[in-house]
Amino acid sequence: MLVPIFTLKLNHKINPRMVTIGKFDGVHPCLTAATQAGKVFIHNPHARGQRPVAHRLSQSTQDSDISLLNINQAVTCLTAGNLGPNTTGDTLLVGSQTNLLAYDVHDNADVFYREVTDGANAIVLGKLGDIASPLAIIGGNCALQGFDYEGTDHFWTVTGDNVRSLVLCDFTGDGKNELLVGSEDFDIRVFKEDELVSEMTENETVTSLCHMHGSRFGYALANGTVGVYDRTARYWRIKSKNHAMSIHAFDLNADGVVELITGWSNGKIDARSDRTGEVIFKDNLSSSVAGVVEGDYRLDGQKQLICTSIEGEVRGYLPASKDLKGNLMDSSAEQDLIRELSQRRQNLLLELRNYEENAKGVSDTNSGMGVIPANTQLQTALSVRPATEAQKAHVELSISTPNETIIRAVLIFAEGIFEGESHVLHPSAHNLSGCVRVPIVPPKDIPVDLHIKAFVGGKTSTQFHVFEITRQLPRFSMYDINFDSSAAPPTGTVTFSISDRPQRVVMWLNQNFLLPEGVESPDVTFNSLRGGGLLSISMASNGQVDEFHSVHQKLTAAMADHSNYIRNMLVQAEDARLMGDMTTMKKRYRELYDLNRDLINEYKIRSNNHNALLACLKSVNQAIQRAGRLRVGKPKNQVISACRDAIKSNNVNSLFRIMRAGTASS
Amino acid sequence: MELHLNRVDYIQVGVTSQKTMRLLPALGKKATQKVAIGDHDGILTCFGMKKGEAVPVFKTLPGQKISRMDLGGAVGTPQEKIFVCSGSQVRGFTKKGKQFLTFEANLTETINAMHVSGADLFVCASYIYNHYCDCKDQDYYLSGDKINDITCLSSENLTHLVPVLACQDRVLRVLQGSELSYEIEVPGPPSVLELYNKDGGEEILYGTTDGKIGLVQIGEGSAATKWEIDNDKKKGGILCIDTYDIIGDGVNDILVGRDDGTVEVYGFDGASEPTLRFDHILSESVTSIQGGCVGKESYEEVLTATYTGWVTGLTTEPQKAEAGPGDEVRMSKEIQSKVEALRAELEQLQVKVLQGREQYQQTSQSSTAVSAVPVFSINDKFTLCQDDASYSLTLEVQTAIDNLLLQSDVPIDLLDVDKNSAVVSFSECDSEQPNGNFLLATYRCQANTTRLELKVRSIEGQYGTLQAYVTPRLQPKTCQVRQYQIKPLSLHQRTHSIDQDRPMNRLSLVGQFSFAEIHSWVVFCLPEVPEKTPAGESITFYFHNTFLGTQLEANYCKGEGHFRSDNISTISILSDVLSKEATKKKINLNISYDNNDDSVSHTLKMIHPKLECQLLLAKKVQLIDALKELQVHEGNADFLIPEYRNILDESANLLEEYKKQPAHLERLYGMITDLFIDKFKFKGQNVKTKVSSLLEILDNYDLNSLLDFFNEA
Repeated sequence: MLVPIFTLKLNHKINPRMVTIGKFDGVHPCLTAATQAGKVFIHNPHARGQRPVAHRLSQSTQDSDISLLNINQAVTCLTAGNLGPNTTGDTLLVGSQTNLLAYDVHDNADVFYREVTDGANAIVLGKLGDIASPLAIIGGNCALQGFDYEGTDHFWTVTGDNVRSLVLCDFTGDGKNELLVGSEDFDIRVFKEDELVSEMTENETVTSLCHMHGSRFGYALANGTVGVYDRTARYWRIKSKNHAMSIHAFDLNADGVVELITGWSNGKIDARSDRTGEVIFKDNLSSSVAGVVEGDYRLDGQKQLICTSIEGEVRGYLPASKDLKGNLMDSSAEQDLIRELSQRRQNLLLELRNYEENAKGVSDTNSGMGVIPANTQLQTALSVRPATEAQKAHVELSISTPNETIIRAVLIFAEGIFEGESHVLHPSAHNLSGCVRVPIVPPKDIPVDLHIKAFVGGKTSTQFHVFEITRQLPRFSMYDINFDSSAAPPTGTVTFSISDRPQRVVMWLNQNFLLPEGVESPDVTFNSLRGGGLLSISMASNGQVDEFHSVHQKLTAAMADHSNYIRNMLVQAEDARLMGDMTTMKKRYRELYDLNRDLINEYKIRSNNHNALLACLKSVNQAIQRAGRLRVGKPKNQVISACRDAIKSNNVNSLFRIMRAGTASS
Repeated sequence: MELHLNRVDYIQVGVTSQKTMRLLPALGKKATQKVAIGDHDGILTCFGMKKGEAVPVFKTLPGQKISRMDLGGAVGTPQEKIFVCSGSQVRGFTKKGKQFLTFEANLTETINAMHVSGADLFVCASYIYNHYCDCKDQDYYLSGDKINDITCLSSENLTHLVPVLACQDRVLRVLQGSELSYEIEVPGPPSVLELYNKDGGEEILYGTTDGKIGLVQIGEGSAATKWEIDNDKKKGGILCIDTYDIIGDGVNDILVGRDDGTVEVYGFDGASEPTLRFDHILSESVTSIQGGCVGKESYEEVLTATYTGWVTGLTTEPQKAEAGPGDEVRMSKEIQSKVEALRAELEQLQVKVLQGREQYQQTSQSSTAVSAVPVFSINDKFTLCQDDASYSLTLEVQTAIDNLLLQSDVPIDLLDVDKNSAVVSFSECDSEQPNGNFLLATYRCQANTTRLELKVRSIEGQYGTLQAYVTPRLQPKTCQVRQYQIKPLSLHQRTHSIDQDRPMNRLSLVGQFSFAEIHSWVVFCLPEVPEKTPAGESITFYFHNTFLGTQLEANYCKGEGHFRSDNISTISILSDVLSKEATKKKINLNISYDNNDDSVSHTLKMIHPKLECQLLLAKKVQLIDALKELQVHEGNADFLIPEYRNILDESANLLEEYKKQPAHLERLYGMITDLFIDKFKFKGQNVKTKVSSLLEILDNYDLNSLLDFFNEA
């Protein structure tokens, strides 16, 4: 059994996911983490009592090994690593909602301090693609930005939603790093510099990503899922009721292949095989895990896995020695094997008994057992229902039995379309029938597998047969076909050519839309049940498809208001400052109190404004991304960079033009 | 003295009931003992261990489920005859497996507890106790509540055998012949009784369904409690107890098996109070436990049987060095052959199952055939926890559970239990709709979960049914539904007596109803009341509210009922429900109240310390983060006033306490609001409009202003 080789109590809280290790003097690794009150602490047990106190850095009076760094803003992410070409050690990078600070701990000086309007939710440091110098890449509200050691941004692009996690890895296998971005719209996107190479859709916010080896990487979602991808193919995943706080790749059993180490919100740490997800080691911290990192913390040439909890508990593990033979857990394998085999035997025996009893026939007419005709088969059907007065527009799943049996309850397990992972329909006792209708409103255009479990039996049964059926909900299920040709065609269009026959397009239509009876021609019009807009598709005989989409092009006028907000805030702040200019002591105290209250109020207003601003910025970024997605390849990148220039020069009109025409100069 | 025990699994039989496994007496000194176990398939298995392999001595044919087992024999000879009861029948087997006795007890109900002593046989059905001597009827007793277990004292100090019944209404009943000698009050519903000294003596160990253990000395006319062990750590209820000197210090230790899978060994350290020396968690209910020697000569062990039929030993034999997976060579020969045998058996079974599956598929083509899958057994328990006034529901199935659907037609809160690894998902439900669902939740279980534990919080006055649909991972897939009543006074618990000095409100009912009818209404309203109509003309039950500590006395007979409580809300709920029930039966009730105005302020004063404590706790917890920040900012906490420093020092405790009682404050607020509305309801005033000002007062809580508000409004 593997036991920790060191444990520390740091007496400082650690903000989740904000833990790193940096060799700030080039030699000694220091555990660095964000703590309360906008501070970052650096734990350096290696060089006691020889540090100067100045600028941002102050010695903690509680513990001489810990130095505190004042950021004076809520820290949102941090990392450490080699950024500059001629620095002695690692640079510490700290991101907040508005700024990014690069700080040289050893020299006690700021390397750069940049304002980032999109915030920094996640940060990663390393080389990206062909860009020569290492970049500190931050992900904010729909935007990605990469800074070099001078603080100039060499990299800027937009993505679908707020970025929550970043990692650099050689995804394509070309020897150069790609950037993997996990965001709140459940997508993992892969950027080869600013070109989007692939996109994987998950079913929750992607909270963590980590590089395993080669093109393999681990991910964690906000709903407690962790798993491993190799390129775009998912190897395995597991789901827990706890949340994965931090994931890290580390070779704990010393077999030459890294395992996925996960730190959970209940304090559990487990190591899982990268191929199967099988747990090879687990341990428990007393409180939620804050971060999992690795470093040579004992300075003996061996890397340790270091786990930290939010209460400041730190544990270090060495990779297992050879004589443990990969068996890191305190359990007897033989006993487990026998137990497992016996369990399987028991299950088979029970199943066999079920068949035997069933073959014997029912001896008594006790209906509690839930006797149903053996040929009972469930019918399921999916159909689109436009909005009525009583109900919103939805996709209806109807399930029915062919005979007098009733459906007691229906459980539908599906990912990403319900609040939880399942949806239940349980009619009351006097509403039981052989047919149930389940309204489903998928929030996004993604294909979903519906795993349906229906409990079928008699009205008074206490035991029911469980019918398990899987149905697929097509990608564009929330579009209702429109036969009414009088409606005005949408104004926005996208035109592209594909070299497929019309029949193939018809096939695609039939597969991806819910159509009562299939369509023959590719010229169809749909009502979007979500936005209410029209979507019409037509195809010319030479293989050209026009797609009109009126749901797009919703740019908010609020963009122009930004400057107004900011101006307002400034004026108010100025007022506040002037009000503080009073003379008598007593009065001043009262005024100060008022001022304080005003300031708090103002702060509230400001923070509201800030939120509004962020929302606007987000929608701008999303609009840019959508504009980009309407083009393919090089024109796409051109649109994005042109938009960026337009925003920099605050030229709203040209932004509109770029989105419409694709280029800045028309 | 440290006790180390290693787990060894022996065999698996069918699902077992409580106390259905015993060790046969050893033939020689230090020899291994044989094990007899009976399961729900009605099979009695007797086996011994030879070279690490279970060798069956005999095995009976399947039949009705075996609900108890005891060993017996003529006085003075080894107690090696095996007695099992199934249905209303008792059978006796010799140690070789020869059946020498079949005895039909002629009870209408099934036997659920049994004791054998020489030629005397004691059996209990739900409420009935019967004593037979040489299979001839001797004594008979009808108990007031369900009988959970029976044991019998025989000692030189006592002139005759003294049977003791463990009854659900929190008493042990000591009998003399067909008469009740006296009752012993115990702190919880007793589930198991065991003699402290197997050779005789007057001391009895009991275990309760809420996890407490105690020792009582039975005297001729009264009993004395020697000690009690509380269940502070909120472990499961006790299912089985045994005494055996496993530590080897010459004093019998107490072995305990609980329904959450915990096995415990209590030893005595010189003092007469037991202390916990060892515990181990098996993943399922421990139904039987006994100390002895089974696996290997001269290595003593604790043998357990679990719900799904695993016979597992916790042995003093040290375990050999272990090999990792894939290291087959180092696996001992015994184990290897065992694994091979199992594998071969599995393969055969697989073939059979495939045939079965095919046949089953074929029947689905026929239009006349029916599909009926046998009922699988579920071991469930729905009990009120006194400490946090919430219900805990445990479900256990013999194979792994696939998923669980919980549905409720009353508003209840589902709380998370840390032990569970299942993924919970709440489904949205419109209570407006005709379906009337207030809670729809699914638990998707991880592989190998056979036991699930849930916590549910109810609100008094809101009553209905909680249903659990359990689907095990077994083909053909079926699910079973279990129903649990959430009663109108769900937070009340039976108690032995109440404080008569409190100011009480009275509710009196007079009408044309029978004793059975009013009893059924009381059963409908209150938990822990026996379903059977009590013997006699009238009956009195006492209850206390586990959340507020208020009390209730229910006294009723034919045509008349009196309910007294110091909590006016309790009276209000009772009167609402009783009149509704009576109306359903078209019985005209004459309801009268006698309300004591002091009772309201009395109840408020009772709530006061709880409320104050909760408010203080909430306030402190709120400050913790800010104080910590200050501490970090200033570097130390010396500048703070002692009160704040104290909060910082105790922050961990405070947080833990706060976490333990989620929504405690909200519940208290809710109950005070109910009290307020109910007080004025009896005066014929509707004060719902004033509730907002009441909440305002609660937000700036002060007892006097609250009392004034209650008096003024």
